Amino acid sequence: MFGRKSHSHNAVRPYAEGLCSLLEVPEGQIFKIAEIRGGQGLHRRLLALGFHPGDLITLDNEAIMNGPVLVRNLTTGTRIALGRGIAQKIMVEAAGSDEQ
Amino acid sequence: MNNKSPVIVFIGQPNCGKSTLFNSIAGYKAQTSNFPGTTVTHVHSEVLWKGKVYSIVDLPGTYSLAPHEPQEKVVLTHIFKEKPDLIVNVIDASLLSRSLELTLELLELEYPMVVVLNMMDLARKKGITINVEELEKKLGVPVVKTVASRGLGTDVLMETIENALRCQTRSIAPCYSREVEKRIKELMDILPEDFPIVANKRFTAIKAIEGETLAADKFISEHDLAFKQELDRLRQEISALRDAPAYEVISAERHHLALKIFEDCCRVARPKVSAIDKLDNLIMDPVLGYFFLLVIFAGMFYLIFKVGSPLETWLLKPWESIRLSIESHFGRSLLAELLVGLVQGIGGGIAIVFPYFIPLLFLMGFLEDVGYLARASFLLDAFMHRLGLHGKSVPMFILGFGCNVPAIMATRILESRRDRIVTALLIPFIPCAARTTIILALVAFLLGPWWALGFYFFNIFLIAILALILKRWFKYDSPGLILEIPSLKVPSLKSIWQKIYFNLKEFVRFAWPILIAGSVLLSFLSYLQFDRLINTILSPLVSGLLGLPQSLGVTLIFGFLRKELSLLMMFQALGVGYGQLMTVITKTQLLTFVAFVSFFIPCLSTLSIIWKELGKKVTMMSVALNLSVAVIVSWLIRLVSSLF
Ligand SMILES: Nc1nc2c(ncn2[C@@H]2O[C@H](COP(=O)(O)OP(=O)(O)OP(=O)(O)O)[C@@H](O)[C@H]2O)c(=O)[nH]1
Ligand SMILES: [Mg+2]
Repeated sequence: MFGRKSHSHNAVRPYAEGLCSLLEVPEGQIFKIAEIRGGQGLHRRLLALGFHPGDLITLDNEAIMNGPVLVRNLTTGTRIALGRGIAQKIMVEAAGSDEQ
Repeated sequence: MNNKSPVIVFIGQPNCGKSTLFNSIAGYKAQTSNFPGTTVTHVHSEVLWKGKVYSIVDLPGTYSLAPHEPQEKVVLTHIFKEKPDLIVNVIDASLLSRSLELTLELLELEYPMVVVLNMMDLARKKGITINVEELEKKLGVPVVKTVASRGLGTDVLMETIENALRCQTRSIAPCYSREVEKRIKELMDILPEDFPIVANKRFTAIKAIEGETLAADKFISEHDLAFKQELDRLRQEISALRDAPAYEVISAERHHLALKIFEDCCRVARPKVSAIDKLDNLIMDPVLGYFFLLVIFAGMFYLIFKVGSPLETWLLKPWESIRLSIESHFGRSLLAELLVGLVQGIGGGIAIVFPYFIPLLFLMGFLEDVGYLARASFLLDAFMHRLGLHGKSVPMFILGFGCNVPAIMATRILESRRDRIVTALLIPFIPCAARTTIILALVAFLLGPWWALGFYFFNIFLIAILALILKRWFKYDSPGLILEIPSLKVPSLKSIWQKIYFNLKEFVRFAWPILIAGSVLLSFLSYLQFDRLINTILSPLVSGLLGLPQSLGVTLIFGFLRKELSLLMMFQALGVGYGQLMTVITKTQLLTFVAFVSFFIPCLSTLSIIWKELGKKVTMMSVALNLSVAVIVSWLIRLVSSLF
C-alpha cells in the first residue's frame, strides 16, 4: 500500500495487515506509530523521548551507507536520529486522512 | 551543605536551557551548548538575592525519571538523597507538549515546584502562543516565562522562587484516567508497612507499577511474595487496558495528559518554512551534508591559521627584542637566564598561544551553539559504526579539538562502558587547542599551511586506524544511535564570548603560570647545567630513535605538563629565537618532534581525568597506546623522509 523500498540486507518479515517498519516507508509522508517492538530498554527510551504509539511521524532524511534515519514527530514537534536497527523496530501504519 | 540557604535544583529535559538559565542567574559556571547532554555533572552556586542566600544546583538533562544514561542518574540522586527545597522545572517552550511529560512526572513528587517556560523566543517563532494563567491552573504551580540566552525573565523567576519557598505549597499530582487511578489507589492501600517510600505513597506506587528496574522487582519478591503477586495482578490489569505493558500505559497516560494540556493552553499558528529550516535541510542532506562537513572543518582550520599567523608575527616582535636586549645587557649571568625564561614564558603565552587559541574557541563555540554537533553525529554515524563506535561519540571528538579534558568527561552520555573506554582511549589523539597551536605555530608558520593541513588529516586518519585496531580488542556490540536533534539556533555572541572568557580565564589562571614557571625552571636548570643530565638519560630515545638534537630531551618532560610547554622550551633548549629555528634543525626533525610531542603521552590533566572517569587500568592502556603510537609514527616520518 505504501511504496515499499527494498532493503536487501534486512529480509522483510511478514507483518500484520497494513503495518510496516519505519525503514520501509517513503520520505516525507505522514504515518502513525502503531507499535514499538524490541527490548524493554529501547521501548522505554523511545517513550521517554516522546515517541508513543498513536503519534504522527514522518521520515525526514536518511544518511548514506546505512546510516541513521531522521524521524520527525509531528505530534510533539521533536526530531530524533535513529540507527537503522532501531528504526526497524518502529512499526507504522497509514495515518487517517483527518489526522493528516 | 549550608543548612540555612534553601536548595533549589534545576531539572528539565536535555537542551532546554537549564545551564544557560543557571549561568544568567549565578554567573558563567556551567558549560552550555546546543546539544542534548552537555551537562554531565551537577554544578552548584550560592546566589544572593535581595539579602537572602540561595543554593542553586544545575543538573544534567533527563528525559524522564527513569534514567538510562549515567549522567541522568545524577538527577535522581539529587531529588531523593539531597531533598531539594524547591524544584525548578525548566521547559523548552518550543517543545512544550513533549516537555510536559517530565513535568507531570515531577508533579507526582509533590515537592514545591516552579515551572519555567524557557526559549519563549523560539516558541514565538514557531507560532506557538502560550496562555500562562491557564497553564498555571492546569499544573497547579507557578509558571514563569524566560529567554535565558538573553537573560530575560530571571528577576521574575527569582521572585517566584522566593514566593514559592515562603508559601511552601506542594505541587499536586496529576490525575490519570479512572481505570488507571483505581489501580494506583489499590496499590497505595496495600503497600506494606516497611516498604521504602520515596517522596510519597502515590509516587512510590506508580514507580512500582512502572517497575523501573527489574532489580527492584527482585527485591520486592524476595521480601514480600504476597505483595509481589498483587503488584503483578495490578500490572496485568493496567496492561489489559490498552493492550500494552503497564509502563507504557502509564507513560501514555502522561503523554495524553500532556497533549491535552498543550491543546488547552496553546494556540499554534501554521509556521512558515524559515531560512533556518532550509539551511538545516542543506547541512543534513545525505550528499551535500558531507560536503559542508568538510568545508566547515577545513574552513575552520584555515580561518584559525589566517587570523593567527599574522597576529603571531606581530606579537612576537616585541618579545624577541626584549629577549635580545636582556641578553646584550646582562650577558650570560643567572639573572639574565632567569629573565629570558620569564620573558619566553609570558611572551609565549601571549604571542604563540593566544593568536590561535582565541579564534579556535570562537569557532568551536559557534559550532556548538548553532547545533552542529548533533548534526555531525547524524552524518558520521555510519562511518563511526565501521570504526566500532557510534555517532554519539562524534561530539566528544569535536569537543576534543578544544580540550581533551571536557571531551573525556562528556563520554558519560555513552550508555555502554565499552564505548566509553574506546572513545576515551581515542580522544587523546585528537589535536586539542594546545597541540593545534603547536602544529600551526611550528608546522604551518615555518613550513607552510599545507604541511600543517596534511599533518591534521594524517592525525585524523591515524585515529581511524587506531579505532579499527581497538575494535579488534574490544568486542563490538554498539547499540544503535538514539539522539535528539535540537533545532538550529542563531548563536548569541554573548554566549560565545562567555565561553571564550571562561576558557581564557582557565588558561590564564592555570596553564599560563605553568608555562611561565616551566620556562623559568628550565632556564635555571640549564644555568646549573642540570638539563644535560636529563638530556643524556633521554638521549637514546631522542637522538637514537627519533634523530633529534639531544638538547630537546628535557622539553619532553615539560610537555607532559602542558603540550605547549614543549614548544616554548624548544627554542630555549636549542638556544635560538623563533626566526632562526630552521637554521638549527631540519624539516624532518621538526615534523618528528611535533608528531612525537603530540602523541607521546596525554598531558597531565587528560591523564588525571581518564583516571578519575575510567580508572587506573584504562589510564595505563592510554599511556601505553600513546607511547607506542608516538614512537611508531615518528619513526615512520624519519623513514619516509629518508626515502626522498
Ligand atoms: N533562542 C534561545 N536559545 C536558548 C535559550 N536558552 C538557551 N538557549 C540555547 O540553547 C542551547 C542549550 O542550552 P543549555 O543551557 O546548554 O541547555 P541544558 O538544558 O543545560 O542542556 P543539557 O545540559 O544538555 O541538559 C544553548 O545553545 C543556549 O545558547 C533561549 O531562551 N532562547
Ligand atoms: Mg546543561
